[in-house]
Amino acid sequence: MSNMSQEKWFSKFIDASLPILATLAALLVGAVMLLLLKVNPIEAYKAMWEGAFGSQNAIAETLVKATPLLLVGLGICISFRGGVINIGGEGQMIVGAILGTLVGITLVDWSGWIVIPVALLVGFAGGAIWGGIPGVLKAYFNVNEILSTVMMNAIAVQLMNFLLRGPMIDPAQAALASKIPQTARLIDAFRLPRWVPTRLHLGALIAVVLAVLVYILLWRTSWGYRIRAVGQNPDASKYAGIKVKNYVVLALVLSGAFAGLAGAMQVYGVNFRMITDGSASGFTGGAGFNGIVAALFGQLHPIGTIPASILFGALLVGANKMQRVVQVPSALITALNGLVVVFVVSSEIWRRRRQRRRLAAAVLEGEGLLPDENDITEEPGNKEVGS
Amino acid sequence: MKKFRLLVTGLLLFAVLLGACQSQPAAPSVDEAAPEPAMEEKTGPFRVAVVMPSAINDLAFSQSMYDALLTIQDEMGGEEAMEIVYSDGMFVVDDAAAAIRDYAAEGFNLVIAHGSQYGSSLQEIAPDFPETSFAWGTTVDTFGIDNIFAYEAASDQGGYVNGVLAASLSKTGVLGVVGPIETGDAKLYVDGFVAGAKATDPTIQVNVNYIGSFSDVALAAEAANTHIAAGADVLTGTAQMVVGAIGVAEESGALWFGTQSSQTELAPDIVVANQIYRWDVVLNEVIDLIGAGTMGGTSFMIDLANGGEVLEFNPDFDIPADVAALAEATIAEISGGAVAIGAPEFEDVFKVAVVMPSAINDLAFSQSMYDALVVIQDWMGGEGAMEFVYSDGMFVVDDAAAAIRDYAAEGYDLVIAHGSQYGSSLQEIAPDFPTTSFAWGTTVDTFGIGNIFAYEAASQEGGYVNGVIAASLSESGVLGVVGPIETGDAKLYVDGFVAGAKATVPDIQVNVNYIGSFSDVALASEAANTHVAAGADGLTGTAQMVVGAIGVAEESGSMWFGTQASQTGLAPANVVANQVYHWDVVLKDVVQMIADGTYGGTSFVIDLANGGEVMDYNSDFDLPADVMSLAEATEQGIIDGSITIEFGE
Amino acid sequence: MISDLLSMTVLVGILTSGIRLATPYLYAAIGETFGQRSGILNLGVDGQMLLGAFAAFYVAITTGNLWLGVLSAMIVGGLMGLAMAFVTVNLHAEQGISGIGFYLFGLGLSDLLFQKLLGTVETVKGFPKVHIPVLSDLPVMGEIFFRQNVLVYIAFALVPIAWFVLNKTTLGLKIRAVGENPEAADSLGVSVARIRYFTIILGGTLSGVAGASLSIALLNVFQQNMTSGLGFIAVALVYFGAWRPWGVLGGALLFSLVNSLQLWIQVLGIPIPSDIAVMMPYILTILVLVATVSRVRAPSALTKSFERGD
Repeated sequence: MSNMSQEKWFSKFIDASLPILATLAALLVGAVMLLLLKVNPIEAYKAMWEGAFGSQNAIAETLVKATPLLLVGLGICISFRGGVINIGGEGQMIVGAILGTLVGITLVDWSGWIVIPVALLVGFAGGAIWGGIPGVLKAYFNVNEILSTVMMNAIAVQLMNFLLRGPMIDPAQAALASKIPQTARLIDAFRLPRWVPTRLHLGALIAVVLAVLVYILLWRTSWGYRIRAVGQNPDASKYAGIKVKNYVVLALVLSGAFAGLAGAMQVYGVNFRMITDGSASGFTGGAGFNGIVAALFGQLHPIGTIPASILFGALLVGANKMQRVVQVPSALITALNGLVVVFVVSSEIWRRRRQRRRLAAAVLEGEGLLPDENDITEEPGNKEVGS
Repeated sequence: MKKFRLLVTGLLLFAVLLGACQSQPAAPSVDEAAPEPAMEEKTGPFRVAVVMPSAINDLAFSQSMYDALLTIQDEMGGEEAMEIVYSDGMFVVDDAAAAIRDYAAEGFNLVIAHGSQYGSSLQEIAPDFPETSFAWGTTVDTFGIDNIFAYEAASDQGGYVNGVLAASLSKTGVLGVVGPIETGDAKLYVDGFVAGAKATDPTIQVNVNYIGSFSDVALAAEAANTHIAAGADVLTGTAQMVVGAIGVAEESGALWFGTQSSQTELAPDIVVANQIYRWDVVLNEVIDLIGAGTMGGTSFMIDLANGGEVLEFNPDFDIPADVAALAEATIAEISGGAVAIGAPEFEDVFKVAVVMPSAINDLAFSQSMYDALVVIQDWMGGEGAMEFVYSDGMFVVDDAAAAIRDYAAEGYDLVIAHGSQYGSSLQEIAPDFPTTSFAWGTTVDTFGIGNIFAYEAASQEGGYVNGVIAASLSESGVLGVVGPIETGDAKLYVDGFVAGAKATVPDIQVNVNYIGSFSDVALASEAANTHVAAGADGLTGTAQMVVGAIGVAEESGSMWFGTQASQTGLAPANVVANQVYHWDVVLKDVVQMIADGTYGGTSFVIDLANGGEVMDYNSDFDLPADVMSLAEATEQGIIDGSITIEFGE
Repeated sequence: MISDLLSMTVLVGILTSGIRLATPYLYAAIGETFGQRSGILNLGVDGQMLLGAFAAFYVAITTGNLWLGVLSAMIVGGLMGLAMAFVTVNLHAEQGISGIGFYLFGLGLSDLLFQKLLGTVETVKGFPKVHIPVLSDLPVMGEIFFRQNVLVYIAFALVPIAWFVLNKTTLGLKIRAVGENPEAADSLGVSVARIRYFTIILGGTLSGVAGASLSIALLNVFQQNMTSGLGFIAVALVYFGAWRPWGVLGGALLFSLVNSLQLWIQVLGIPIPSDIAVMMPYILTILVLVATVSRVRAPSALTKSFERGD
């Protein structure tokens, strides 16, 4: 028995190192691009490593970047497990942040002990609403969620632009010619505690705790069981008496809520105000999309999403550092990130093959070993819910 | 196997797509050492010897010293009182060293090594002759040896005045400069000239040609010919070989500005003014000090304030009264210290980092800053004096914050956060790095933090001028505007444009379209199409996505008015005018303040008055004379405050 | 002012704008339709478009040959499709995420190449407007439909062609079979891999042309990220059109017409905040779908990879 589990742990270790190997392979291709740009790849990647892990501050920056990825990723775990493809994380983050910020700039006389939790909850709720709309549209009007979430992202951006240059504009800026589209700054008491002197804030810890809670939700509660059941096989779930439509809505509501929380947390932990440059990613940092990547790197498992977010966050932070040190256009960084995503997602095939081999071996040994519950043997989610 | 296939596929894709990709290293020139000429004379008791690289009648550097010595001799009472001997044509440094040593051994009171290339010889020789005074220039360095005087000329000052005059008198808007080697006194003069010209007329084109020689008269003439062919109608030049260039100027009827000595007699019809070096100002002091027993250890500077540099106007050349007045005012300002010409010098390389939201070649906001930094680098003396790095595409606010903090931590002297969305990050970061300067825009808000500069553009001014022209030229009475989001710099420009148009033609219709994006080129294009369909025959727009709208202007034959950067190249037949941002105007002040020990706390505005905004009229667009003069009058009115821009809300 | 919206100028304006705006969506969304019909969701359309737009622009400006530009866009888009096909068909990678990866790659690489090969924003003389004889002289209709450039005509011609291929040919049958039930198709001797390779490369090729239609026909300029997420809208329009070329056409036209309508609303000075006006096409697209409550089901095997002998 102990021998078995040792082997199993070794297998898991191999599985876990696959994304890292794939990342290295992508960086190897990136090295060719760097050479073409007449940049020394060793120097470049050294800078990347130092930017991501080279100092206390670098590690903190990596974790700051990883926090919204993890939160959005948790939501993605829920929605993809529930069979819905939520690519509206950007919009959900924005709406969560707008509502969360509204709390902080309205209730200025209140105590931080009240305002921060309330704001984060309101952000959570804002994301839930913005995710819930596509949920309802999908469940009851057969509007595909990819379409609606793409559209809702664009709507959220314009809503943000409208509010930040109009009703919610920083009163100080309203008086100036520059009229920067931003809200007032949160007072010091409303900021999440930080690990001084870095920007690492309490939100990182909250996100990790939530990852555990999402794990419990998905695998230890009946709600979670039903969400996953609907995702695995909506028809069977229907016959089993599950109200499929409700769980489709629930999956999107929860998924949006975590993105909304990520948005509010960016305001209360990092930026202390909302600012728009006219685009979604100017505020979100693209976390609404990158969170999907992180979740898939983490094999749609909430706990697995933690290291996956850190890996992807490190990559983003390190690549920016690399840009600064070797002075390549940031466009190269974008292309490189794309390569890493493609390589990592492609490397999944080896994990699945090994898993299948293990399973076959187990069956052959006559132990009838079933995959344990939190092992992902089936292709996750992604089935259309023919409501 | 599959791993290999994946890699091979990936690599192939790259090879195909990146095959032609090349890097573009920026490599500004490195300065080299350069020689200078000299001159001399003789007298009785007080004996002076001078060693100089060219002839005493070179009408340039050597002659300026020769003339000075003659003046001194005269003042002191003629040959009886002062003896002058000289060695001219000492361009071989070894020979000069021998001459210097020989004069010292012969017991001359003062030996002048008139050429910066003689310094190291002097450093050897002077300690051996403690009873002899040595003087050399142009430099400030006495090597700490107490029988060496040093002298130099603030030649940029006269250069600046010449530049002001040249820009005022030029009709073609093109000036030509012929210099020897890009260093020392020559570079100082040329840089001053360029600065003066640009300060007077920011759109002026100053073509500079360093021919690499102090003696090649033929090449200097050819360089001048080249300038004339390029449209220059005013020329200047420094060092002895420029006599060739003066002939060319005379032949082609171009104006000439001299320096070092008076060059009026060479071409009395076309020489407007000369900056003349009066080394006698320095020599008088030197002689006084020697008389008082001080053999050296001091360095001197001739400039406009101390009369060591004099602007001599050619009485035969009829300078318009207003131009003469401008020149006098400029001289007074420089003498009074109100105009700082040269770039300040820092002990180490001045390091600048800039963080900006889009690419450096966006033909809009980010590019305007990148271009300015290139100007500043040149102004400060190239990569050896100033280096800058950038992070482009930083539209993610917290990535930008990380970059800003990182640059500050790495010891950059100035970190520029070029985007109004970066302000609150800066507010966090700046207090942690009190000896780093930060600059951000566009806004006026420094948050009251002592190491933050703020800058913004009065973009409504150029918008207003554009609006005036557009309304004057519009036949349909309808204009169209394409903007990104209705706020900030974009809104300011658009409001200015509308105000200018309405002020000119009150019933003009200005349709404004904000497309809600800085990047959606297709929608910008379609917005422009909509304007054209609604009858607009003049279009404008701001931010990087408008490149799509310019194409529509071209296709529909509408006029286009640009802002932020010059967009003329995109539609040469349709662009009427551009408001161009020159952030270098602000950056020069910022650098100067940092040099003076101020890290921030000030906010700057670029506008038409300070030359930070320049109306760039497309010379290929046939702007009717009356509209052109209206536009110029409008610019003038905004500058002198007689036009105030009112936004109708 | 609202009544101005009903004037002939405005209506003609909205329609002509709408047709132009719809063009890139049509190429990209028709291409995506083929992919999705065979069971592949490609979210990388925007990246393919950007690389196609750059390739077309660069080749057109260096050679002066616009058709060579279109061809290059097709090749580059096709190569992106080939890579996507390899990753999703052979390596069974999760489709949505690979698409995001390819999107980022295309976004970055097109900008990088732009900065290194061109350096600055330039314009190119693009495809001229072709006035179709007789028809272009028709009142109103002529201006709207028959005075466009050649890539616009081709885009609209693609719709019936795509419909025909998908519904009336053996190839179309195979594509649909692979998307609905790959196992069955496989057992009937249809190569699932080959069909999917074909549709993904076709999709990439058309996305490349979509980019070209922007850079050398409609806008005649290249700028970093010039598509600005247009490719994602194209993917959404496939869902709107319920995987049918005519439906995609309807979606593209609806979205584009509302977009040009909002431009006119601003131009006419109708007092709606600009940002709210900009939201209109997105909101209306959703609302129309809600109102029509489609019962159409997605291809059953969409986003699912297929492995033989499992």
